[in-house]
Amino acid sequence: MPCGPNAPRGIIVGGRAGKVCSHDSRFPAFVKPFPLVVIASLSGFCVSVSAEANEAEARAFFEKKIRPVLVEHCYECHAEGAKKLGGKLRLDTAEGLRKGGESGSPMVPGSPEESLLVQSLRWEFDLEMPPENPLPPQVINDFVNWIRTGAHDPRDDQPASQPVAEVDAASDLAKTHWSFQPVENLEPPEVSESDWARDPLDRFVLAGIEKAELEPTNDAPPATLLRRLCFDLTGLPPTAEQVADFTEEFERDGQRAVARWVDDLLASPHFGERWARHWLDVARYGESNGNDGLSRNPSFPHAWRYRDYVIDAFNRDTPYDRFLTEQIAGDLLPAEDDAQRDRHLVATGFLALGAKPAKAMNNNFAMDVVDDQINVVGSGIMGLSVACARCHDHKHDPIPTRDYYALAGIFTSTETMWGVAANEGLTAPPTDLHVLKAAAKVPPPKGWKETVLVIESNTGKPKQPPKSKWEPGTPLAMGVRDKKEPADCQINLKGESKKLGDKVPRGFLSACSLPGEKIEIDPKTSGRLELAQWLTRPEHPLTARVMVNRIWLHLFGQAIVGTPDDFGVYGDRPTHPELLDHLATRFVADGWSMKRLIRAIVLSRTYQLDSAADLRMVEADPSNTWLARHLRRRLDAESLRDSMLKASGQLELTPADGSIIRHRDILVNLAGNLHEPSRHRSVYLCMLRNSPPPSLSAFDLPDATTVLGKRSSTVLPTQALFLINSPFVVDQSLAFARDLWKSEPASGNDRARAESAVRRALGREPRSGEAERGLAMIRKVEAELAEEFPDPGERRERAWASFCQALMATNEFRYVD
Amino acid sequence: MNPTIPSRRRLLQTASCGFGYFALSALCQSARAAATYGPTLVDRPTPFRARAKRVIFLCMSGGPAQLDTFDYKPQVGKKPHPGSVVKFHRHGESGLAISELMPETAKHADKLCLLNGMHADTGNHAQSFLQLHTGERLRPRPSMGSWVSYGLGTENQDLPGFISLNTSKPQVYASQFLPPVFQGTPIGVNGEDMGKATIANIAGDHLPASVKRRQLDLVQAMNYDHQSLRPEDPGLEAVIQSMELGFRMQMTAPGLLDISDEPASVLEAYRVGKQRTEGTCRQSDFGRQCLLARRLVEAGVRFIELNHGSWDQHKNHRRDLTANCEATDAPIAALLADLEQRGLLEDTLVVWGGEFGRPGLTPDNGKDETGHNANGFTFWLAGGGVKGGHVHGATDETGARAVDGKVHFRDLHATMLHLLGLPANDLTYRHEGRQHRLTGPEGGRVVSEIFA
Repeated sequence: MPCGPNAPRGIIVGGRAGKVCSHDSRFPAFVKPFPLVVIASLSGFCVSVSAEANEAEARAFFEKKIRPVLVEHCYECHAEGAKKLGGKLRLDTAEGLRKGGESGSPMVPGSPEESLLVQSLRWEFDLEMPPENPLPPQVINDFVNWIRTGAHDPRDDQPASQPVAEVDAASDLAKTHWSFQPVENLEPPEVSESDWARDPLDRFVLAGIEKAELEPTNDAPPATLLRRLCFDLTGLPPTAEQVADFTEEFERDGQRAVARWVDDLLASPHFGERWARHWLDVARYGESNGNDGLSRNPSFPHAWRYRDYVIDAFNRDTPYDRFLTEQIAGDLLPAEDDAQRDRHLVATGFLALGAKPAKAMNNNFAMDVVDDQINVVGSGIMGLSVACARCHDHKHDPIPTRDYYALAGIFTSTETMWGVAANEGLTAPPTDLHVLKAAAKVPPPKGWKETVLVIESNTGKPKQPPKSKWEPGTPLAMGVRDKKEPADCQINLKGESKKLGDKVPRGFLSACSLPGEKIEIDPKTSGRLELAQWLTRPEHPLTARVMVNRIWLHLFGQAIVGTPDDFGVYGDRPTHPELLDHLATRFVADGWSMKRLIRAIVLSRTYQLDSAADLRMVEADPSNTWLARHLRRRLDAESLRDSMLKASGQLELTPADGSIIRHRDILVNLAGNLHEPSRHRSVYLCMLRNSPPPSLSAFDLPDATTVLGKRSSTVLPTQALFLINSPFVVDQSLAFARDLWKSEPASGNDRARAESAVRRALGREPRSGEAERGLAMIRKVEAELAEEFPDPGERRERAWASFCQALMATNEFRYVD
Repeated sequence: MNPTIPSRRRLLQTASCGFGYFALSALCQSARAAATYGPTLVDRPTPFRARAKRVIFLCMSGGPAQLDTFDYKPQVGKKPHPGSVVKFHRHGESGLAISELMPETAKHADKLCLLNGMHADTGNHAQSFLQLHTGERLRPRPSMGSWVSYGLGTENQDLPGFISLNTSKPQVYASQFLPPVFQGTPIGVNGEDMGKATIANIAGDHLPASVKRRQLDLVQAMNYDHQSLRPEDPGLEAVIQSMELGFRMQMTAPGLLDISDEPASVLEAYRVGKQRTEGTCRQSDFGRQCLLARRLVEAGVRFIELNHGSWDQHKNHRRDLTANCEATDAPIAALLADLEQRGLLEDTLVVWGGEFGRPGLTPDNGKDETGHNANGFTFWLAGGGVKGGHVHGATDETGARAVDGKVHFRDLHATMLHLLGLPANDLTYRHEGRQHRLTGPEGGRVVSEIFA
């Protein structure tokens, strides 16, 4: 339905809230009963009336036919003094009737069929007022006549003693809820053990520990510290040699040695590979659309360019404000050269690679795309779930529906380019793509032929995919650009694109706006650049807080705000609000440099605490709220796989080029298993939605449909099965065993080989008896395999592989202290 | 809209993220819920009498045409109107009217409890499918199998409590915010050949089982060494136990999934391997699914979902509907008979239905094309403490909308939970600051009229 002045209007009126929830004083006043959204339809209905009613007649008509009905049937919920004002609509004043409720006017004087009031009285579609029983048809006809003749309302328009508040409760909340308050730059608190602190941030932590009457545990031993640093900064374990070197340097130079190693790790290209993966979780990165609800899952053959962009951005230490601006509005930024232009365009893939429901039979498709974009910006960048406001004013956060559609207008003015969607129009219409200039042209290999065909939806018969509009190998990227005619968006009542309410000027969230702040969006643009600028203003109360909290989470395994994607009313409160603000202040003041913030944190005393702690202290603070120790963490899917590849000697450290689906615009669901064995780091594996790489999928990968700041860290029997039986682990254990024999062949010394295996897998010297225990198992296994593997060489390899596999399945391998 | 139809407030029902009531009730109940239900699969007693101990959900995705299966709408009056276009016959002592396309299932008419007054919020496949599974149509929420595992645990500690066969997408078997131990284990995803489908990595022939045990012994010995240096961390013990459960599953599950020990007569009765592909009807080896369901039920799995589709026959209604019925009719009949014979039906609740129904065709007008109808459709239940040979609820004369005995998905959910001995609206879990439940903010009504 087109946006326009003739579109029907919607009103929101209150329901019989008592049926749904009872009022409770424990709830803040803004928790209104669940609103009923009443929706307009276009059905016409003609009644012939005399149009010559003069003023007196009109007044008489109103007094006789209209007012009594309003009083009898409507005032209970829609008048001053109503127990709960339904939908913020008042019908007891002329002004209230004109202005309407949450979503606009209930009447279009002169056009009864376009008036929600009439439709709701008729109980058409979802319109059912009054709620108990519809009024008699004659009464409804009176309203039709009244509106047709101009809806004369002679009531005294005294301003209401309690004006109808649109979002007053919400703005009250914006004034009080912690995360909407300005970031405060506080002096680090006084602590009794002032020597303990190494960085100002330590004083904030120690103050909490002291207040809780706890004591920080010991500093982590150097081997523990290095392993933690290596995993946290690069996602890879250190070698036993590195551990020995670091230990020696640490004993000599202390923190200066740590700083040197940290700087090396931060400068390593593997830093970007590690931290990009964290951001890709937030960006709900996927290389296919995911099931569209009808089992179709079109590939995104160019999404990997966004992945590479993010890795590169982290390695360059692109300032976070710049990083966000490129992703939201890269296409609108000036570029010095083609390479930079390409980078900017690829960055906007952030907004284009969401998971979409099918287009077929879905009137809301366009708004579903927008909803994903609002969600990734809302939860991902601001830690606010804006998405609920698609259908109604947010119940607990100060986000009115109007704000949602103010943001939506920015994205409805934006062309989202996901590509040809596997040439399957039922899942999504094909779009253009960004054509890159500096990127290499990589055509498919000679003789390449697509084997997954397009299925004709009516006949079910396969057919050849149509010819691409681009030359094979043209470097393309998903992304966004401004539409030719940007326009504001109308409220979609109850989230339905066919039921339109008021038009809302493009804008941002009122709750995060500064007093007196003026939003000026160039009407000829979408407003994305302004959105990026608004998000990255140093005064924005959420952007910096949310990101420093994410960084903290990845370094500690626990965040200051336990719900990293929800800083709203129902999200967790910060355990250390002053610390959060301190870090946010530093982050912004230090040019939004992520590397520098990470460096400061890992060099702090707090970060370098041991995970071992006194049992009494653990019992006093089991969830480690006060950070008196470091949490032991399970390796995530990528680090586990990369560690196995490293132990087996198979890890290929050069970045993978592109993706296995770079030439394939196909429905992934028709393709069977597309994944191929790879020796590259896990971040380069093809992250098909609903078809994740089998070598990662057992360990809580995100499903990449929504923002995911904090992955689960589950302990499941299916993970045990992965460690015991998966082809990937078995392959790595065999490679590990072969490599062990290659690198320790000389003396044929089994003991040295077993020790070497422990060193490689666990990055430490074997303990007393450890090699012997391993060798004992190997010998027994070798004997047991005599029948199965008659060839002695193969038998030996299998036996050693079983030992290598065991090492990689241990908790010591899979957990970081 | 016909004003004489008693209408519940549809908009209240479509609440996509309403919180008020929820949070309120949650405050009162969280402590009790936390005390009763924990993140463990251990079998636990129920607060109420459990009429059913387990569930087999026959999920008919795509929206089965109720008017040509279980909701008979003959022509009335002179003017032709939409209704049933295939023949119906009365069956059993109850005289239930069942379509001629379901001759085998019809033999079990006296076991079926038809819910002809089902209704849902939306005719959008994905959303309604999600709502059927999770109670919520717009946001990912825990699946009903996860809720049931959360409430009841499971009888067999060597197997998952919730298994989803031939499933479509993780959202329908996900535990979401419930502890991951309640996650459904999929067997066969996205049209995978059910004959080959299994639990990921359940088997590996790289080493014989005895060697794997020896290997695991070494792993566990090293784990205990590791743990002894970290006595403050109880989580490490859970990891050690989980390794053992995985190892045991490896011993138990492949045998259960391998149906080669079944006699030929059973394979024939279930129509194992008999595939039917026609238009929208896709291969699902539904016979194998039904047989696996019986084996999993016997082994003590709590909640098993089976899937067949698609019933979304927009065009070629008669042809594709016939194919879908043929693909599922005999397997379902075999399952009901088998469960009954083994004495399992009385405490196993079998549930049949899809995300919505379809509007009727008008006989003899040449049209063979239908759409979606969420305003009135059919589910049926069998076993597990419900009346057999019973009809609850009705649609109007054309089958367009439920007019009597209306049952929404949340009412169905409430009824299922209640039959399992769980408090339908008080089985809650605290997440992001508020209590959630399967029956959603509105809560569901337990349809006690159908209890045997």
